[in-house]
This record gives sequence, structure tokens and C-alpha cells, in this order.
Amino acid sequence: MDHDLYLSRIAEFVRLLSQEGLSVGTKEAEDACRALELTGFTERESVKAVLRTICAKSQAECSAFDRLFDAFFVSSEQKLANLKKAMEDQQELEKRRAEAAEELKKHSFLNADDDFIGGYAALPEEEKDRLRKFINKFRDNAERNPKLYEGFIRSVFMKSIMEQQLMMEDADLGVQETDPDLGLLFRDISQINDAEMPRAVAMIQRISRQINGELSARKNKSSSAGALDIKRTIRKGLETGGSLIRLKYKRKRPKHRRLVLLCDVSGSMIQFSEFALRFIKSMSDVSESSRVFLFSEETAEVDPFALQDMDQFVSYVRRTGLYGKGTDLGSALDRICAVKPPVLDQKTTLLIISDAKTVRLEDAQKSVIRAASLAGEIIWMNPIPQRKWEHLRSVRTMSVLCKMVPCSTLSELARECRKLALG
Amino acid sequence: MIIDPKELKQKLDEAGYIYDETLITTLVVSLALGRPLLIEGAAGVGKTEVAKVMAYALGRELVRLQCYEGLDESKSIYEWNYQKQLLSIQVGMGQSQPQSKTELTKSVFSEEYLLERPLLKSIRSEKPVVLLIDEIDKADEEFEAFLLEMLSELQLTIPEIGTVKAKSTPFVVLTSNRTRPLSEALRRRCAYLFINYPDIEKEVAIIKAKMPNVSDRLALAVAQAVHDLRENDNIMKKPSIAETLDWIAALEALGVPDLTPEAAGLTAGFILKNEEDIAQLDTGCGCAGHTHADGTPCEGHVHADGTPCEGHDGHHCHHHHN
Repeated sequence: MDHDLYLSRIAEFVRLLSQEGLSVGTKEAEDACRALELTGFTERESVKAVLRTICAKSQAECSAFDRLFDAFFVSSEQKLANLKKAMEDQQELEKRRAEAAEELKKHSFLNADDDFIGGYAALPEEEKDRLRKFINKFRDNAERNPKLYEGFIRSVFMKSIMEQQLMMEDADLGVQETDPDLGLLFRDISQINDAEMPRAVAMIQRISRQINGELSARKNKSSSAGALDIKRTIRKGLETGGSLIRLKYKRKRPKHRRLVLLCDVSGSMIQFSEFALRFIKSMSDVSESSRVFLFSEETAEVDPFALQDMDQFVSYVRRTGLYGKGTDLGSALDRICAVKPPVLDQKTTLLIISDAKTVRLEDAQKSVIRAASLAGEIIWMNPIPQRKWEHLRSVRTMSVLCKMVPCSTLSELARECRKLALG
Repeated sequence: MIIDPKELKQKLDEAGYIYDETLITTLVVSLALGRPLLIEGAAGVGKTEVAKVMAYALGRELVRLQCYEGLDESKSIYEWNYQKQLLSIQVGMGQSQPQSKTELTKSVFSEEYLLERPLLKSIRSEKPVVLLIDEIDKADEEFEAFLLEMLSELQLTIPEIGTVKAKSTPFVVLTSNRTRPLSEALRRRCAYLFINYPDIEKEVAIIKAKMPNVSDRLALAVAQAVHDLRENDNIMKKPSIAETLDWIAALEALGVPDLTPEAAGLTAGFILKNEEDIAQLDTGCGCAGHTHADGTPCEGHVHADGTPCEGHDGHHCHHHHN
């Protein structure tokens, strides 16, 4: 292949990497071309190694890079095979869309547009059967009174289509998991199974140690840098005949933060709450003087000694009688607001650990507003991935009322706990 | 600096460092582009060693900066010798014709009073050096910010003196165990290499390179066992290459010609470094937990308690070949 063409292909490839979220730009493209001029273009693996060295900046980026490189720089045979497969896939998709359009046309009240038809066509056959049964059940009603039923039936269809799309996104994320530790760090917490728990816990301990280390380093630094403490320096200088040999610096007064944790321990949330509490309890500065409340349908304040052994957390929750129940955030917040002497004040940060799925949503909103007026700040750690928030009414509503942060993976959870600890 | 890959391979061979093509390409590219090389990977996979062998291969001095929590510019770049400055001022005050304020300031903030730390040393050196910034993930984020100027512009700023430009270009190697994420800004300035645990063949080659007297059979058995341990999800602290070498050395010291379960049990402390992992070794099955490449369960090994294994399927094992 022509030399200039190669270079232009590399520029295109760097642009593709950038579009896929890798932090590359003109500098990388220039470096890649310079390096390839030097090492040559003849061996595919060598070109790959050169470009990876320059363009990928982490293990996760290396995985993404390899995937994109293999897709971009393909042999002519592979290209032909890919093209053939893409055409077959496209034909299959068109066929399914046509069938779906034909089927949905029968139900005029569904107002099926292109997106709707496309979404329905992608559904697995068993889901389509379920929807067919559902629509048959309500067809007479819908035809008799379309205004009353069309919105309802359409919403059931849309829910199925949306869930399918989210599942496809999750499956796509799973494909990229090549390194076990890295995978665990970036995987949805709800997907971490029992066998992986010890590794996850070890990872949390390691990250917490690091955060504690950074905290102590900050404290140490404040004693040897910053503004000079004239009084202490002169006093110390008296030991050396008035010469100010040893300088003393002003110490920053430690900022005491009071934290109130409200953890959702209903069935789906218990694992996430356990992880979040492990992080928070192992960060000495944050956990000091913090109070922890657990809630599902009812609320209970946790005895601080009960959380000393986090391995016993699930059994502790079972003993409190909160495990396996529904979620009532509103009453939990009301309970905290009503505690005497008051738990919340302007020096307190209220940390809510919940997926925002609750009964009596309107009441819960009012309670959040009330708690926000009492507490200095509310931070909401939500285990639902941020890309799904817009589809969930409760999350959309609550995220407007307080600072909601996505914590769907251990990596995100660690990042937020770090922010919390380091301020 | 441009280096011929063949020449580099020859030098690494001489240094007894086992490499693959990716490593060679990465080193050649980062040297050619004058980019710092950021190496990530688990502890004990040979990241620091890369800097050492590069110093040997390039015939340069190795300047090492070990990072730790709280490392700041006074420990890594420069520090004024305050006590010496103070004494100098006091001596000057006692003289009949004391220096003017400007002269005094100029004299006490001169190179005579400058304590050079590794980063400054590496760029002020007349001859180019290899600068190893080890375990950068242990330093604070603020320290990364100090590094940026040096890595991208090859210069450092000392407020009292001004900008110190590099007299020679050091080859910078940064290593990280990934205990915290590094900043995007730092990553962007570096070429990147991830070193994974070696496969069995490479580990055998490392063992033979470092300990030529070890029998092929023992080297292979140990490499296989270590590989199984690393694959085992129940083992919390995965053994590093250094621990593999320690283990072999321990077995050699005991005069053990082959890796029997008894020998493995006796020397477990050299390869596994916590009680839970060693307990796994005691309670688990023998090396037969894995399946062979053809899909058949392994039947050729012995349990830790000495009973022969009848084969397992579907899970990894952390024990050793008989």
C-alpha cells in the first residue's frame, strides 16, 4: 500500500480512537506517524504495538485499542467476509423490521413510528409472544375506547423495548471485560456474584487504605509546609541561641465532618449498601462521629459496634427484621428528621445510599426537601448506572432535589468515597 | 535517541532480562520519541527491572525516585539548605563590611546552597541518565502536577533561580501498581506499557535465566503451579515472579528435586504470603483441578493429603504437580 495512504489511514484510526473515548489527539497522530516511519509498516503486530504504546494509556484503553485496531486494520479476505456478514445481518434486520411493521399495522392505536418498529423487531420471540397475548387481551377495549387504552398499551410495549435495549447495553459492556480485577472494578455491582465477593472486599480494603494514606499524607504535609508559625519558630529558636534553625509551620485545623448515612437494605440494595458501608467505615476520618440508619419499609439506627465486623453485615440486617422488605424512603427520612436531639444540622452531610425506588414517591420527595433544609448537604449514592436515570421517574425527580452521584461500579463508588473523604 | 531493536535485544539478553516483541517495540518507540514510559501491572512482574536493564543497555546511570505518600518537591526536586544559608548569613553579619541585601539574597540562593534531589539531578546531569520514578501511584496527586512540567518540557522551575532546562534528555520510566488511578494529564504525556504475569513458557525462561542450575523439570513444575495459583480466584495475593524465584531457591536449599505436595507444603510460605491463601493450599485438591486443553479433566496429580486426584472439572486449582 502507498506510504501516504498508510499515514492518512493512521490519522483516520486515531480519529476513530478519539471518538471511542480514548484520550488521543493530533500529538498522538503525529507521534504515531513518526514512530512508524522509524519501525516500518510491514509487520501488522509491530504496527499494532507501536500504535498501542502511543495511543492507549491504561489497561482498559489497551483492550479497547486492540478491539478497534482489529476491526479497523483488516486483511482484504477478512474485510470481504465482514462485508458479507454485515450484508446478511442487514437483510435479516430489514426482514424482521418488515414483519414487525406488518404486525403492528394491525393495531393502529399503537401509533408505531420507525423507532418503535425497530425496537419491537429487536425483541426476543418470547417477549413478543407475551406482548401479543397482552394486546389480544385488551384489543376490544382499545378499539372501543382508544383514548383511554392506547397510552397504557403503548407504555407496556415501550417498557419492554427499553428493557431490551438496556440489557443489550449491559451485555456489550460485559464483552469488554478481559482483566478479572479491572473487570470487577468496572462491573455493575449488582452483577458481582458470591464467589467474587472476597476479591471485591479485598479491592475495597486496598482502595480504602490508599484513601486513608492520602488523608494522613495531607495531615503530615500541613505540618511542614504552608504559612510559617512565627510564635512556635521563635520559641524553638531559643534552643539554638536565638538562631531560627528549625522552622515551624502552621497546622491546619482538622475539619470535623459529621456524616449521617441512610442505607437502603431492601432486597436488591443490600449488596450495594454493604460495599458502600465497607468503604465508608474503613475511612477513619469520615466514619468518626458518623451515624448510620438502615431502612426498608421501616427504619433502624445501627449500633456502631455492630458494624465493626462488616462480614456479619447481612446477618445483622436479617436480625433487625429489615431484610427482604419493600422500600419507604419518605418515612425513613421523616424518622431521621424527627430524632431528638436532632441528627441533622447545617454541619451535617446526609448520605443517602439507595436506588430511589420507593413507595409513596410524592411523600418521599417532600421528605427529601425537608431533610435538605435541615442538613448542610445531601449526597445521594445511586447504584443505578447514570445512562438509565432518564428512564426512571423516581431517579429523575430525586436527582433534581439533591446531589445525586452515580455509583454503579466499585470504581465509581471508590471515586465518590474518595471525594467524600478528601473533601 | 534512536536505538536498533536488535542491539537492544542483545543488551537485554546480556542483562538476563526476558522480553517479548511488544516490550522491545515499546522501548524503541518511547526512546525514539523521547517520551516517558509509564509501565503498569501487578506487583512483582518486573516493571522496575525494565528501568534497570535499560540503564544497562544504554550505558547510563540510573537515578531512582521512590514515591511514597506525602512525597513533595523538597524530597523529589530540590531543597534549599536552610541551615547552611542561616549560618552563612550569620557569618556575613559578623564581618566588618556586610553584604548588601541584594547581594546577600543572590548569594544564599545560589547553587552552593541547593540540595539536588533525583528529578533535578536527572535533568542537570551532563550525561543522559535513566530516571526511574517508581510506584508513582503511591505519591499524591499534587506530586503528579509537579511532574508534568518536567515530563513535557524537560525543565523545572525554581522560583529563586528561574527555569532549569535539561542539559541532557533522560529516559524516564514511571511505574505504577494501579492502587489509584493516575491523572489523564500524566498519562497523556507518556507512552504506555502494561505488563501482565508471564505465561508458563516465559516464567520457565525467567527461572532458567536467573537460576541456571535449576532442573528443567522443577522449573516447569513450579511455573505450572504458580500459573495455577494466579488463575485461582480464591488466592488473594497472587504470587509475583520474585516469589517464584524465592520458592525455587527454597526448594533448592532443601535439596528437593521435584515439586511434591509435601515439599510444596513445607515451602508454601515462600510463595503465598497470607494465612488464608496457605489454608487454601492445605484444604484444596491437588493440581488436578484444571482441565486439559483437550477438555478432559486432569487426573495426573496428587492431593495435598497425599491421595491421588481423580480429576475435577470446571474450576481451577492451586496445587502442584506431583
